[in-house]
Amino acid sequence: MAQIFPKWTLRIPLYAVLGAPLVAAAAAGGVWYWGSPEFTDVGYRPKQPVPYSHELHVGTLKLDCLYCHASVESSAVANVPPTQTCMSCHHVVRRDSPLLRAVRESWERGTPLRWVRVHNLPDYAYFQHAAHVRAGIGCVSCHGRIDQMVEVTQAEPLSMGWCLDCHRDPSGHLRPTEAVTEMEWFPPRDHDEWAARTIDERGIAPPEDCSGCHR
Amino acid sequence: MSRAAQEYWRSREQRDGDPSVRPFVEREFQEGASELPEGVSRRSLIQLVGASLSLAGLAACRRPVEHIVPFVRAPEDMLPGIPRLFATTMPSGLDAVGLLVTSHEGRPTKIEGNEVHPASLGATSAWAQASILDLYDPDRSQQVLHQGQRASWQAFVDAWRALEPEHLADGGARLAVITRPFASPTLARLIAALRARFPQARVVGYEPVGDELILRGLEAATGAPTLPLLHPERARVVVAIDSDFLLTGTGSVAHARRFADGRRVASSDGTMSRLWSIEAVHSLTGANADHRLPLRSDQIAPFVAALGSRLGIGTGLALDAGPATFDSAWLEALAADLEAHRGASLLTAGRRQAPAVHAAIHALNQGLGNLGVTVEYARLADAVLPDTTAFAATLESMRAGEISTLLLLGANPLYDAPAELDAAGALAAVETSIHLGLHTDETGAATTWHLPEAHFLEAWGDARAIDGTVGVVQPLIAPLYEGRSAIELLAVIAGEAAPPPTLPEGETADAAAPPPTPEPASGYDAVRATWRQILGTTQSLALDGGWERVVHDGLLSSATSWAGIPLAAGTGATAAPPASAGARSASDVALDLVLVDSPRVFDGRYANNAWLQELPDAITKVTWDNPAMLAPATAAELGLRNEDLVRIAAGDRQIEVPVWIVPGMAPGTVAVELGYGRAFGGRVADGVGANVYPLRSADAPYLVAGVRVERSGSRREIAQTQDHGSMEGRPIVREATLEAYRAHPEFARKAVEVPHTRALWKEEWSYEQGYQWGMTIDLNACTGCNACVIACQAENNVPVVGRDEVRRGREMHWLRIDRYFAGDEAAPQTVFHPVPCMQCENAPCEQVCPVTATVHDAEGLNVMVYNRCIGTRYCLNNCPYKVRRFNYFNFTKHTPQVLRLQNNPDVTVRSRGVMEKCTYCTQRINERKIAAKLEERTLRDGEVRTACQQACPSQAIQFGNILDGASAVAQAKAEPRNYTLLDELLTKPRTSYLAKLRNPHQELAETHQVEGHAPAGSGQATRDHGDDSA
Repeated sequence: MAQIFPKWTLRIPLYAVLGAPLVAAAAAGGVWYWGSPEFTDVGYRPKQPVPYSHELHVGTLKLDCLYCHASVESSAVANVPPTQTCMSCHHVVRRDSPLLRAVRESWERGTPLRWVRVHNLPDYAYFQHAAHVRAGIGCVSCHGRIDQMVEVTQAEPLSMGWCLDCHRDPSGHLRPTEAVTEMEWFPPRDHDEWAARTIDERGIAPPEDCSGCHR
Repeated sequence: MSRAAQEYWRSREQRDGDPSVRPFVEREFQEGASELPEGVSRRSLIQLVGASLSLAGLAACRRPVEHIVPFVRAPEDMLPGIPRLFATTMPSGLDAVGLLVTSHEGRPTKIEGNEVHPASLGATSAWAQASILDLYDPDRSQQVLHQGQRASWQAFVDAWRALEPEHLADGGARLAVITRPFASPTLARLIAALRARFPQARVVGYEPVGDELILRGLEAATGAPTLPLLHPERARVVVAIDSDFLLTGTGSVAHARRFADGRRVASSDGTMSRLWSIEAVHSLTGANADHRLPLRSDQIAPFVAALGSRLGIGTGLALDAGPATFDSAWLEALAADLEAHRGASLLTAGRRQAPAVHAAIHALNQGLGNLGVTVEYARLADAVLPDTTAFAATLESMRAGEISTLLLLGANPLYDAPAELDAAGALAAVETSIHLGLHTDETGAATTWHLPEAHFLEAWGDARAIDGTVGVVQPLIAPLYEGRSAIELLAVIAGEAAPPPTLPEGETADAAAPPPTPEPASGYDAVRATWRQILGTTQSLALDGGWERVVHDGLLSSATSWAGIPLAAGTGATAAPPASAGARSASDVALDLVLVDSPRVFDGRYANNAWLQELPDAITKVTWDNPAMLAPATAAELGLRNEDLVRIAAGDRQIEVPVWIVPGMAPGTVAVELGYGRAFGGRVADGVGANVYPLRSADAPYLVAGVRVERSGSRREIAQTQDHGSMEGRPIVREATLEAYRAHPEFARKAVEVPHTRALWKEEWSYEQGYQWGMTIDLNACTGCNACVIACQAENNVPVVGRDEVRRGREMHWLRIDRYFAGDEAAPQTVFHPVPCMQCENAPCEQVCPVTATVHDAEGLNVMVYNRCIGTRYCLNNCPYKVRRFNYFNFTKHTPQVLRLQNNPDVTVRSRGVMEKCTYCTQRINERKIAAKLEERTLRDGEVRTACQQACPSQAIQFGNILDGASAVAQAKAEPRNYTLLDELLTKPRTSYLAKLRNPHQELAETHQVEGHAPAGSGQATRDHGDDSA
């Protein structure tokens, strides 16, 4: 009677012992790498109740961010505009467009629109829009090229490590405050010197302590 | 005089080394502290663990979808993320406190005092702090009930319209209104309109706990019912006779502030007033006294009489015929002190004392030249005063069938009226009874109609403080539960119609189309109509901008505030002596039962407020209960121990409560707080404690003489915190007499020897630039009133854990107030010691955290990072101050949705398994810092205020940048009294204390010490200090 298990099977335990750490390391590494917000969160593009196109409004029509998101300069949160803001144009422009039906209904019935949040930080992290905008961090730095997005998509990981990269050295993202909302802005040749000078003059000191963002 | 640490004790058990408290002192965590609550079996636990494990994996994969719901039409001036402040006024009986309420996106979240309101001066009581929770109380009455069935407000209005002609026909002879006493121009105007419409109708003020006896006594003495307005800051000698003017008395917030002002000793040559207290129960005011004499209730009137005769001032009180039980040397010293400070002394008596005592106090104040200097009288305008006699007469008429319609405005007589008046029987004899109340309470459940009342944060109104300031009650939110205010109800009854649709400019334009029949006036219309009259009489504000100014400020700041009432010339006391004096039973076991207004639930109105229920009482440190408080000697005589259940019987009525032995109670006295034992109070209130109202009689509402107290045989555990977080045997609280302080200003700092070694750990920061936050707590100013504890809870989303969890030592308050007794347990001295996180620069907690969940930041804050914490609790183990709190459960998981509206959105709501602690209100620091940054400037001193600091009525807490030498906190830290807790451990705390000072009278200072049973060594040393300076 032939052996049920050929001789090579004797080596299986050995391979298993040798291979298990590798598999475990690979699994941990995989989760660590592909499970990070860079992979899980970037590209998040939920369906919105109104097919509002930033590409059209910002890219083509050149609306300034502050036209709708008016509170970013003074408040911690960036407001999503009330239906009123939409209707201030759309009671004249494209009055009958089927795409705008939800907006018109909201306006007529007085029921708010329910937008889906794209850039969602954990509840224990307190981001302050005004502080960043007034310091001169461009909208693009966190939200990406909104002017090229038909539907808003998360462009950056918004992870703590990503935040800290900039907090440790904000010069690369710093702009003159009047250029904060510009979508296509190229740093001038002397940007690095300008940024170093500005950080010094205006006392820009992004917190790196836990208490800066966690309360 | 400075004391050795071992002389202080937190509880008698701890002092005597009772083994039952050893676990609290020795163990970091109570035995079983990490066990699950009872009722969870091992099997169900394993099931839960299995289920949550399998679900945890799935849940983690799902991205939480959050919606953003913007306005359709955005209100003006409202930016999401920026809280707004509105001024309003909290009416409380005949008084009112001005408030500033924070509103986040339309939901009020936090209450602060209004700095320009004289009854608040920027501070608040614990009640005002906690009233925000009442607003969201899910147990509040939510619908109009008719015979217990759901009805509508319109149905009620129609029903009233049907009843109206009958009452109009007989001038309202069969109509009665029983209201809680108030002082409000609009309510008074509507009551006047009601009286004009129904001249025969009865309007009666009724409240179970109030100032009726003071009003009657001062009416007899001065000719007008009035309340005293105290100025202890102008007095050198303050005498509180059975009075708790610092906590539960009317006007306590402003009184506490002024009292503390009179005792601030900025430098070693400063002076301070002296407080004497004579009382039967151990009140907060008594605990703050330099000399306190525990005295049976029936001895207090004779004491006042004896004091009067010693001072040669006629009090109208009969001297006790029997032998005086009080210490004559004590009386002599008090009289000498008063004589030495004529015109700069102050006497006040509490609301439990008979009218004759108040008249006598008036005579004493007059004789000593204090009137108009340290004691002023309030002009009570626009008020309905409490009148128990009229109330009893009305109940009698109801029983006789003479009343067909009864209106109850906020009153709850079925719970709190004296039993012999039989309110339930009287109510049953009325055809139509209408109850307006926040809860469908004991009375609301029995009336024909129950109408849900709007909370004061939901409705327009106005209220007058006892100093005469009129404030506007401005709603912060539309009524959550279709509630209406008393103003709106009275507008219906009094027939006040809405103004005609032709509105003047600037008025609200959103009034609906003109109705065919006159609509009753809305609350706003009624208040506006009153204020048109008020502002019309004040010339400078006659312009229409005046109203907006008043709403903005929350009050009318003009000459209409206090003006003294004319005093009847040559008043002597004319009131009859108290009936109860000398009525003491001869029986040995008979005790006096004193009924105390609760510093937590007051008369029962706050019984459904979980914050107040869980607030440890200042003196007893008891939560969630109203035990029978007894003096140690009395308890020993009766053979009672703590937590023994006793039956207290008066006549044929009795209650069963556990015993709590309170040092400093008068012998022969048992005291129980009112307001507990609710049956229809709500899910928090019901079943907590025992209802003492049934033992009460209308004649002597606060004292039941000759009760029998007997042990029932069983015991009930009390959830108390007096032994929690002990810092055993170390000089935690430091104090001295004023004399000793003058001789040795540095006494507090020199109480321990700080080793000149360096700490083991390397310090990460230099703390030499930027803002460096620090705090001082002045133990001399702190009265122990607990306002800071509730303010902290409201600001920082601190959860309530419930009675069982408090018993296991799991209470979550970030700021606790330790209470220490010292000396003789019959008349101990008391020190209150608020303990927040010390924010050590060299923090022991940080060294032991395995996951760096607690670290330091550059501004000196010891930061707790919730999302890193894995719950090892090593940090709590290593904290010498015991200020860290651990979430043994997800305490907020089952919080009703509506209560979550109160949460501060700027503070993380913590989950299970996470450590937490005082953060110095880091969210406030950040908010102000960023605001200053946006204005491109640095922070000014006083701009960042912590919640505890802001609420403190006596301004005991200073907070700010310690590097800024001009800041209030840096100056406080430079005072010689400044010391840090356990500085010998080299933790370098940022929170420091200013030592307490006492100002004993020379003649008593010596005897005081002798009586104090101080351990010989330390007592001797302290007296030597005193002699040095003398």
